[in-house]
Formats: sequence, structure tokens, C-alpha cells
Amino acid sequence: MSKVSNHDPRLAVEIAGIHFNNPVLGASGTFGYGLEFADLIDLNRLGGFATKGLSAKPLAGNAPPRIVETHGGMLNAIGLQNIGARAFIEEKLPRLRGYDTRIIANVFGYSDEDYIEALTILNDGEGIAAYELNISCPNVKEGGIVIGNSPDAAARLTEKAKRASSRPLIVKLSPNVTDITKVARAIVGAGADCLSLINTIVGMSVDVNTRRPRLSYGTGGLSGPAIRPIAVRMVYEVARTVDVPLIGIGGIASTSDALEFIIAGATAIQIGTANYYDPTITMKVIDGLSEYCENQSLENINSLIGSIKAE
Amino acid sequence: MIETIATAESNRELAPGYRMLTINLIEDVRVNPGQFAMLKPRGSLEPLLRRALAIYRVEGPQRLSFLYQVLGRGTTALAQLREKDEVEALLPLGNSWSIETSGGGGAIVVAGGIGSASLLMLCEELKRLRVDTKLLFGAATERAAAGCGLEDFRALDLPSIVTTDDGSLGDKELVTAPLERELREHGHKGSTIYACGPWPMMRRVAEIAAQFKTRCLVSLEAPMGCGFGVCVGCVVAVNTGGPLDYGSYKRVCTDGSIFPSEAIRWEVNAMTH
Ligand SMILES: Cc1cc2nc3c(=O)[nH]c(=O)nc-3n(C[C@H](O)[C@H](O)[C@H](O)COP(=O)(O)OP(=O)(O)OC[C@H]3O[C@@H](n4cnc5c(N)ncnc54)[C@H](O)[C@@H]3O)c2cc1C
Ligand SMILES: Cc1cc2nc3c(=O)[nH]c(=O)nc-3n(C[C@H](O)[C@H](O)[C@H](O)COP(=O)(O)O)c2cc1C
Repeated sequence: MSKVSNHDPRLAVEIAGIHFNNPVLGASGTFGYGLEFADLIDLNRLGGFATKGLSAKPLAGNAPPRIVETHGGMLNAIGLQNIGARAFIEEKLPRLRGYDTRIIANVFGYSDEDYIEALTILNDGEGIAAYELNISCPNVKEGGIVIGNSPDAAARLTEKAKRASSRPLIVKLSPNVTDITKVARAIVGAGADCLSLINTIVGMSVDVNTRRPRLSYGTGGLSGPAIRPIAVRMVYEVARTVDVPLIGIGGIASTSDALEFIIAGATAIQIGTANYYDPTITMKVIDGLSEYCENQSLENINSLIGSIKAE
Repeated sequence: MIETIATAESNRELAPGYRMLTINLIEDVRVNPGQFAMLKPRGSLEPLLRRALAIYRVEGPQRLSFLYQVLGRGTTALAQLREKDEVEALLPLGNSWSIETSGGGGAIVVAGGIGSASLLMLCEELKRLRVDTKLLFGAATERAAAGCGLEDFRALDLPSIVTTDDGSLGDKELVTAPLERELREHGHKGSTIYACGPWPMMRRVAEIAAQFKTRCLVSLEAPMGCGFGVCVGCVVAVNTGGPLDYGSYKRVCTDGSIFPSEAIRWEVNAMTH
């Protein structure tokens, strides 16, 4: 758990006043509670990570099967199984604090009150750098509409969450909308400090022998390299719409994938599904970014953010 | 647990559709019977996810072998591996068979199809510990039995019964039939059943174990995303806790793959792959 690590100063970025040693983060739901990676990578070298989605109370999740591999990606319907915000603070945070990496608590709920309750619990957690709101959840009090798909519902939740939280607030956008810039603008207007995007894209896969969906839940979230071009396009669009920093997510599996997002307008990136089939991918991308800076004679990766050459 | 690039030593077909892959590692590993690895040919992009394979045998401190049935995309990709090809590997993973000898009883090992891959090292260990062991080995056909490593099990010289679905080798019945007879006729007081095979077989083994009040451990399978606990995709429904207790699903990869049979909610059909 030594904190002595060599960081490439060219890779340091800042988001909402938080210093990240580099822009490479683990994505929520693909990085567990961080500690699972302690034997696989040097957590002190990681820019940061977002925890598995935390709710006020523990959740059991969906019945299996919960995942199915598709082409260039996978569908999941985990159902947000998690140990709960309180257990995270008591069982995971004390050990996580020993590492020099930024911990982002990913939070979700099925009503505005659920989110506030979880945030209130997490405010007690020493060592959390920021919150990331997962708004791709159905609001049970409003007939199950997905909060993140409605600019009004998303803005209302953001405003309440901002008031309830003692830390910078990142809101994670759902890609399952016609115009992502509308939701982005509403959320930033309501006080979000940063946007992360994208969450998974709703998809479905059918077993032709049984004629049943392959996931017990029916539909699931598509992730992995297959969604990357969609995610890059959305980061590009949102970067031209709002002024807050962005965290790019979606199918990143190499250094050049990460660079696409940064050039399109992301200050940092999160790696998700690729961690499953290459648990050391975050380290490879950090090294790759240093190499790119070297080759391109960049003094600082910040000069790359949003540097895309388009009209 | 190590994340490493291994090198294929050989990848031999034992019978049509069944292969044995042997890999060399660059560092020593300690493997307990029943543990598994996540494997994929290096650099292959299709499929993306690695596949879980039980560690069949430790051939040396840096050499492991795997026995697998070529079914779909992942195992087809593994079947293409040639000598010296590189393999991405995360291993060893999961818990292991816990051998219980205190009750004074012996062991009944039930292997169904390619489930045998998880049981050879267990049989070796039972033999080493001089536990009174009976092996029940079931396969679809004589060829499948060969593909599932029957020769390696026979080399251990344990009392055994072989069954096949078509009667081409041994008795024409399901492997659960001799299990039931054994318990009914010989009692096997204080014994432990160790089973690995297809879901319907293990469900039946669990029923028989409950009927004869015999301790039973099963090694389960589920499609896995990561193999080390982070994706929470490979869960099985378990009996502990109420329906909304977060303990009501357990991960096959890190909470298992071996579970006491009475812990599993066998009636949850969705788990049948
Ligand atoms: C802990 C563990 C140990 C295993 N050990 C072995 C072993 O030693 N030898 C061996 O041959 N196989 C083993 N398996 C199964 C193996 O990992 C593969 O998942 C399975 O062979 C199917 O992969 P595929 O790529 O060939 O098929 P895919 O293309 O992924 O799927 C083909 C078909 O198989 C089904 N399927 C997918 N995954 C599984 C699964 N895990 N179990 C059952 N059906 C599945 C799919 O629903 C589909 O119908 C093990 C699995 C686990 C979880
Ligand atoms: C199995 C799985 C579980 C996930 N769980 C969460 C979650 O709890 N909260 C969340 O905000 N995003 C969750 N995500 C979405 C990822 O954080 C990420 O936004 C998405 O997978 C796209 O990135 P990728 O293509 O790199 O995986 C999950 C993704 C996967 C594959």
C-alpha cells in the first residue's frame, strides 16, 4: 500500500477542483469496489475509479442469467446488486484510503429520495473525492420513466443532489435519448460540476431455440468496443454544448481509443468492459498516454482536450 | 492470482470435440483442486471475453493443463491455439474442494461429462490422503468419455463405475443412478459427495444427497464476464437470507465455484444454461 509512485506530470488533470494524477479511471460496475484490483495493478498509479453503483440499502440484483456476450461487446442486466452505501463506508473505504487514487462513489436510486438518502450516508465517508450519479434508472414514483431520459426529471434530481452532497457532483448521462445535448444542458443548468458519458445502450439478444431473451430481465445494457463510436460522437456533441469538464466512457480498450475521447472533448476517461478481459488495461493506457505525449512532443495532455479539428 | 501471458505447449484433440491444452507459465503457481483459470488466445478480438476452464492438472510448477469441450465461440478460439502461441491467463481463481475426513466416511466423486475436468486433481488428492473413494464417471458416449479424460482417471486406479447415455461403454444409465444405488445399498455413512457436471445432473445429485442426508459439494458453471468478482454477472441464487437480502445471489467466480449443494436454489430454472 505504498504511496510512492512515479506519476508523469504531463498527464495530471483537474476536474471540479479535484486533482487526478492521470485521466485514466475505472468505470462503475466494472471495477468492483477497487480493492479487487489491488493484486492485479498498482492502484497508486490509477487516476481514479468509480465504485459499483451504491444505493442507500443493499440490493440483491436480478435473477441470472445477467450477462451475455454479443459481437464486440456484451449485454448486462445485473440489477445493481451492491452492498449498500453504509457497508461501503465501513468495509471498503478504510482500506481504499491507503491508496493514492481518487475514489468516486457512484450513486443510484429509484426515486429522488433514494438518491438523497444514499448521498447523505456517503457524506460521512472520509476519502471519497466526488459523487457520480447514475441516472439511467427507472423512477418508480413516476411510472418507471428513466430519469436520465427526461431533461426535466434529470435537472430536478441534479438540483436536489447538489444541495444534499458535500462533494463535487458528476452526473452520468444515459445515451438512450434522441438528443443528448438537451439533457446535458438541463443537468449543467441545475448545477452539475461535471458530466460523464456514456452509460450502456439498451439492447436485447434472443435465443432462437427457446425464443426467449438471453437475459432473464429481457433487455440489458450494451457495453464494450461496439458502442465506442456512439460514445465518441456524444462526447463531441456535449463538449460543444456545455462548459463543464467531461469524462468520456464507452468501449475504451486501448490508448488510441482513450485519445479519441480526449480529442473530442473529454478531460478524463473511464474504462469499463475492457477490464474484464484485460485487468491491467488501465496501466497500459496510462503508459500509452505518456508515450503519445512523448511522440507528439506534448508538454501537457490538457492541450489535447477538445482539440479536434472539425469545422 | 496472477495475470500473465502463457505459452501453449500443446493443444491435443482427445476425441472429436474434446481437447487438452497445456500451457507454460513464466512464474510458479500454487493451485488447489477445483480452481479455474480465465483464458483467451492473446490478442484475439472475437470473442472479447475470456472463458473459464477448470485447471485439470498441474504438470509442474509452471505447467498446467486444461480439458475442454469445443462448444461455442470462446472454446473454438481456444481450439485454434498451436504450440508456442500466446495465451492471456488469469489464474488460479475460485475456491477449492474442501476434503472432509473427520466424519470417518469416504468420498463419492460424481463426474458428468466435461465436469470431470474439475475433478481429476481432487481424485489425486483423495488418493494421496488415502480417503476411501468411489468414482462415478458418466458421459454421453464412449468417445465422449475418452474426451473427458477417462484414461487419466483410470490411471489412478480408484474403484469406479462408468455410465454412458447410449450404453457404448459401461452401464446404459445416467450417472446419478449408481449414486443412488451406492447410498441405498452401502450407506456410506459420514461420506462426502463431490460433483461436477451439467446442471440437471447436479440438481439430481443434490436431491439424492438430501434424501440420504449426505454432505455434498458441487462445482457450478455460469457464463462469466471477468472471473475475479467485479462484474457480478455469474451469480447463482442461494438460500441464505431473504429475497431482498444482498446475500441471496452469490458469484460463482469468487464465492464459488464450489458450494455446498444445500445452499443452492436449484428450482431457479434460469440458471440452467
Ligand atoms: C468455473 C468454470 C469452470 C469451467 N471449466 C470448464 C472446463 O474445464 N472445461 C470445459 O470444457 N468447460 C468449462 N467451463 C465452461 C466454459 O467456460 C465455457 O463457458 C463453455 O464451454 C461455453 O463457452 P463457448 O465459448 O464455447 O460458448 P459460447 O459461444 O459462449 O456459448 C455457446 C453455448 O454455451 C452456453 N454457455 C456459455 N457459457 C456457458 C457456461 N459457462 N456453462 C455452460 N454453458 C455455457 C451458451 O449459453 C451457449 O448456448 C467452465 C465454466 C466455469 C464457470
Ligand atoms: C456489468 C456492468 C455493470 C455496470 N454497472 C454500472 C453501475 O452500477 N453504475 C453505472 O453508472 N454504470 C454501470 N455500468 C456502465 C459502465 O460504467 C460504462 O458506462 C459502460 O459499460 C460503457 O463503458 P464500456 O464500454 O467501457 O464498458 C456497468 C457496466 C457493465 C458492463
